Amino acid sequence: MRVILESKVRSKPNLPIEAEAIIPRNFLKGTDHVVFEGNKERTLSELFWIFVEGTAVSPENIEVILKGDTSRIKRVGEYMDTGSIVIEGDIGMHCGNFMSGGTIEIRGNADAWLGREMRGGTILCRGNAGHYCATGYRGEKKGMQGGKVEVSGNTGDFCAEYLAGGTVHIHGSTGDFPGAEMRGGELIIEGDATRPCGNMKNGSCVILGTVHDMLPTFEKIERRVLPEWKITADVYKGDVANRGKGNLCVRSTGLY
Amino acid sequence: MIERDVVCPFCGCLCDDLELETEGGKIVKVQNGCSLAESTFMNDTRLPAPIRRTETGWEDISYNEAIKETAEILRDADRPLLYGWSSTHGEAQSIGVHIAELIGAVIDNTSTVCHGPSILAIQEVGHPGCTLGQVKNRADVIIYWGANPVEAHPRHMSRYTTYATGFFVPEARRERTVIVVDTRRTDTANIADEFVQIERGGDYAVFSALRAIVRGNASVIPRKVAGVSKEQLIRIAEICKKAKFGAIFFGLGLTMSRGKYKNIRNAIELTDELNRHTKFVISPLRGHGNVYGSNEVFTWMTGYPFAVDFARGIAFYNPGETTAVDILRRGECDAALIVASDPGANFPRAAAAHLAKIPTVVIDPHVNATTALSRIHIPCTAAGIDAAGTAYRMDGVPIRLKKVIDRGYPDDAEILKKIYDLLNGGMGP
Repeated sequence: MRVILESKVRSKPNLPIEAEAIIPRNFLKGTDHVVFEGNKERTLSELFWIFVEGTAVSPENIEVILKGDTSRIKRVGEYMDTGSIVIEGDIGMHCGNFMSGGTIEIRGNADAWLGREMRGGTILCRGNAGHYCATGYRGEKKGMQGGKVEVSGNTGDFCAEYLAGGTVHIHGSTGDFPGAEMRGGELIIEGDATRPCGNMKNGSCVILGTVHDMLPTFEKIERRVLPEWKITADVYKGDVANRGKGNLCVRSTGLY
Repeated sequence: MIERDVVCPFCGCLCDDLELETEGGKIVKVQNGCSLAESTFMNDTRLPAPIRRTETGWEDISYNEAIKETAEILRDADRPLLYGWSSTHGEAQSIGVHIAELIGAVIDNTSTVCHGPSILAIQEVGHPGCTLGQVKNRADVIIYWGANPVEAHPRHMSRYTTYATGFFVPEARRERTVIVVDTRRTDTANIADEFVQIERGGDYAVFSALRAIVRGNASVIPRKVAGVSKEQLIRIAEICKKAKFGAIFFGLGLTMSRGKYKNIRNAIELTDELNRHTKFVISPLRGHGNVYGSNEVFTWMTGYPFAVDFARGIAFYNPGETTAVDILRRGECDAALIVASDPGANFPRAAAAHLAKIPTVVIDPHVNATTALSRIHIPCTAAGIDAAGTAYRMDGVPIRLKKVIDRGYPDDAEILKKIYDLLNGGMGP
C-alpha cells in the first residue's frame, strides 16, 4: 500500500507541525490522525492532501510518501518499527526519533536531531543533515543505539554525540564535535571534521578527510593500513581525559 | 531618610548591604554599592505611561486598554513566545509560566543567551557547587575562567573571593591564589597570580589537557595546547591539586564561545577530577539579578529551567528547538510578550528582526532597544527599587528584594495577573 501525503498551502508556513502520527503502521487503520500545528490540534487531512493506493494487510508493506513543503514537519517516523517513508523534499526536526525498524529516505535536507535515539532500521538522507544528527535528547546518556544513518551531504555540529551502537556514515563533512562522548558504535566521516570525538569513551571513528583542531588528549598508537577505505591511517586511543578506550583513525598525512 | 541593608537587583551578586538615602520619594545617594548599583538606582528613567505604535509614531493609552490589547494578541496567536523574566521578581515569573501553560506558549528566559549552556552541561554531568559563603570562608585557590568580574561583577572579588576575609582564610588576599584564564589581558587578569592566555576557542582543549594531566596522562599532552605551554598547564594542575579548597567561576567567555556547553561540561569534569585530590567547586557567574530565579521558578513549575514549550499542553524542553532565538530566527512565533529584558539589543539580528514583524508587547520599566521593535510598551515597577519580591543570587540563595520608594507604577506581577484573568475569562491563576 502506498500513502501519499502532499502538504497543503498554509497561511503561516513557518509554524512547526508535530506529526509523530506519520508512521507506516498507523495507516493500516486509515488516515484519520491527529497532528499539531503550533498550539492547535489538527487532523491530517487539514494539512495534507491524502492519496491512498492499493491495500495492505501488514504494516511492512506500507510506504508513506511526503510531498510538497515538508521542511517544518517534525517527528515524522517517531517510534517507527516497520515499513518505509520517503520524503521527497526537506524534513523538519526529530525525523526518525526512537526508530526501531524500517527505512526512511529523505531526498532533500534533514533538520536537526535526525534519527535521535534510534535503535534499528535505516535512515538515508541524500542532502545535508542539521545539528545533532544521530544523537540523543538533552542529557540522555545513550544516543543512537542501533541501526544505520547514512548522510550523503554534510552534517552540522555534534553529529553522533553519545553514539552507543549502530553505524553513522557521513559522506560529506561534519561541523564541530562529531562523535563527542561516543561510547560505542561506528562513525565514518568521509569529509573533514573539527575536534572529533571529544571525551569519547568507546567505539570507533574513521575520518577520511582533514581533521581541524585535533584535541590534545588522544594517544597515538600506530599507523595502519585500512583496506576497506584504501588509506593509511594514524590510529589514536582516547580520550585520555577520561578512561577512554575509543579508537580514532585519521587519514595519515605522513607529516608527523 | 536612610534605608539600610538594601538589595541591589542589578547583577547576580545581589549585594544586600547597600545604604540608600531617599528624599521625598527619590533616591539621592547610594552607599556601599559599585558603580553599576549606583547607576541602577540613580539613573532610573522610566516610560511615563503605556504607549502604542500608530501609523506615524506613538500614542499614550491607558493601562486597561494596553492590557486588553495584549491579551487579545496572545489569545489570537498560534505560537506565542513569552521571553525575558530575568530582571523581575519570582512572583511575576510564576504568573508568566501560568500564562504560557494557559495559552500554549513557549516561555523562555535570558539564560538562553547567557548561561543556558551551563545548565545543559549540568544536566549532563551534575553540578559540584556550593554557596558563595563557603567560597568566602574556605577557598584558597580561585579560578576565573572566561570572566571579567572587575567590570561585570565589581564586588564579587571583595565580598566573596579574592579580597574577602574568610573564617579559614583570615589573611584574605595573601592566602588566596588567583588564577585567571582568558583570551585577552583584562582588568581581572592584572590582579591574578597566574594569568593563562588562551587562543580563542581553545578552552575545551585546555580543559581536556588539564584533566589528562590531573589523571596522570601528562605524557600524551603536546608541548603547547591552544597557545598555553605544557609547563604552565602542569603548574596550574599542581596548584589546584595542592589547594585546600578551590573554586572555579566562569562567565560568558566559556558559555558563548565555540563549543558552548561542551566547554562547561569539560570544566565540570575537571572539577570532578580535582575532587579526587582535594575539595573543588565550580559556579557560573550569573548576569541578570534574578536570572537564577527565573531558572528556579521555571523548574519548580514546569520541570525545566528555560525554553519550555507548552504548545501541546504539556511542558517540552529542547534548547535549539524551543529557545527564543531559534524560534524567532526560524520565524515560527506569531506574537511575543517581552518582560523585563531587552532582546532587541542582545539577540542576533535575524531574531530581533522577526520581533518587529509580529505583534510584540514589552512590559518593562525602561525604554530600551526592544521598544523600537514593539507594538505596545507597558511600563511597570522595577523589582528591588519600587517593588518587593523574591530573587535568587547566582549561587541559588533566595533573597528578598525590598521596596525602597513608591513611584506610582503598577507591579508587573499585577499587570500579568490582569492579562491572565482576561485570557482565562476572569479566573485567577
